[in-house]
Amino acid sequence: MTNWHIPDDLRERYLAGTLPPAPAMSVEAHLERCPACRAAIPYEREWLETSWQRLESRLAGPRPSPAERFLRHGGVPDHLARLVAATPTMSRAWLAAVVTALTFAVLAAREAPELMPVFLVMAPVLPLAGIALAYGPRVDPAHELMAATPMAGPRLLLTRAVTVLAVATALAALATPLLPAPPGLSAAWLLPSLAASSGCLALSHRLPVPIAALAVGGLWLAIVGTGLLVSGPLAAFGPLAQLGYAGVALLLILRIRKASVS
Amino acid sequence: MIQINGLTKTYGGRPALDHLDLTLRTGVTGLLGPNGAGKTTLLRCLATTLAPDSGSVTAFGLDPASPSQRTALRRRLGYLPQDPGFYPHFTAFDLVDYVAILKELTDREHRHAEVRRVLAEVDLTGQARTKVRKLSGGMRQRLALAQALLGEPDLLILDEPTVGLDPEQRMSFRALVSRLGESRAVVLSTHQTEDVAALCERVIVLRGGRAVFDGTPGELARVADGQVWLSAEAPATSRMFWRTADGRYRTLGDRPPAAEQATPGVEDGYLMLLGEEVAA
Repeated sequence: MTNWHIPDDLRERYLAGTLPPAPAMSVEAHLERCPACRAAIPYEREWLETSWQRLESRLAGPRPSPAERFLRHGGVPDHLARLVAATPTMSRAWLAAVVTALTFAVLAAREAPELMPVFLVMAPVLPLAGIALAYGPRVDPAHELMAATPMAGPRLLLTRAVTVLAVATALAALATPLLPAPPGLSAAWLLPSLAASSGCLALSHRLPVPIAALAVGGLWLAIVGTGLLVSGPLAAFGPLAQLGYAGVALLLILRIRKASVS
Repeated sequence: MIQINGLTKTYGGRPALDHLDLTLRTGVTGLLGPNGAGKTTLLRCLATTLAPDSGSVTAFGLDPASPSQRTALRRRLGYLPQDPGFYPHFTAFDLVDYVAILKELTDREHRHAEVRRVLAEVDLTGQARTKVRKLSGGMRQRLALAQALLGEPDLLILDEPTVGLDPEQRMSFRALVSRLGESRAVVLSTHQTEDVAALCERVIVLRGGRAVFDGTPGELARVADGQVWLSAEAPATSRMFWRTADGRYRTLGDRPPAAEQATPGVEDGYLMLLGEEVAA
């Protein structure tokens, strides 16, 4: 301990920020050890606490994942970015499975153009599988921990489903130009995909999510199968059918929106 | 404050809760009962994670049967489930931060300050950056408790909160919960009668989905008044006895030959109440 304390003139110059670096560091070193001199430094308590909180939050807070940083860079609020990036389905395993499935479908179509419909049939099923694995006690290890929070239920399911749908759609869209078909036909999976995902979400109000996804997936395969039997493999992707998918998707989205608001 | 009326829930035809009526108020209430008595089912109904077959729960005037009121109620409760699952790749901080977001704490600085506060409450500040998979069982239990404390809930629901805690951690837990119970309703289930004796102002014993006792821990102990004995020899007829540390036998029920009467504790009262069911 020392009896020396910071003289008034030195303190004034320190507070005014006019001290050269070396004496300023000496003053700070002394302030760390001397409560009496610290007490003589005026500060606004609220400002200091807020600043410290901000600093602590940046230094000691969680380190965002690459996906989270990407979303935040794109203007997504930090809490939403964290929520989206933590979606259980968004694991490397699921992403790898989607990429592998799409790659095989593209390679098959390029090798034998008559296999093109495989891609069109599969693309709407991928987000369905992702949604089925995104929410619920059987697929989310922390489900019970989250289930009593205000976000649990339709809000969290919707957030996760939209995330899965967006990622699966983006990956399928990246693969689409590689298909040996005109753009209109190559993208014929998009509206069925939207309708199927909306159908799954709408059904999830009444059924567990995996069952809803299975039911909608089964319906989709039945539609494609019926089309195949009636007038060929591309029947389920014609203009009239696309109009139907668009209508169904629109109606279901409006219904989900109404249910979410209420 | 929290009103439970005719609450019934069955699993495969077997009632887990059987027309249960209760009123819960500020303070710490302990639920005791053998496995399958309905403790977890009751807590899950209170926590709004399980819908009853019939009957109702209302807390702070909110009915969880209505989706909007259920969300409003969830804003006011903290829940530690019996089997809290985790994301093992998250750090302790990440996990609590994630739950804080689900509890609608959107402002990052405020949220992070709250996460640090609850981690400090359960003495996990030093493990904030440790991955959940590297935490011990006791630390995970404290982590699960930390998330329940987020936002200073008015109703705290704790399902077997002391599982995995060592004696020192259990003492800290008791201090924390008794402090919380001064200003809010805390409902906890446990198999530890000493936790009930140390913590709870009120104890409810469940059996077969019904409340078979509702009173103070002292009143529960008095259920065994005049029926607790200490003897040098093991009793020939009773099934409810055990050998104590001093080598004598503690018997519940009829007086064994040459036995002296002992002061009953909460555990004695509980065992007497449930009788042969727990002795079996």
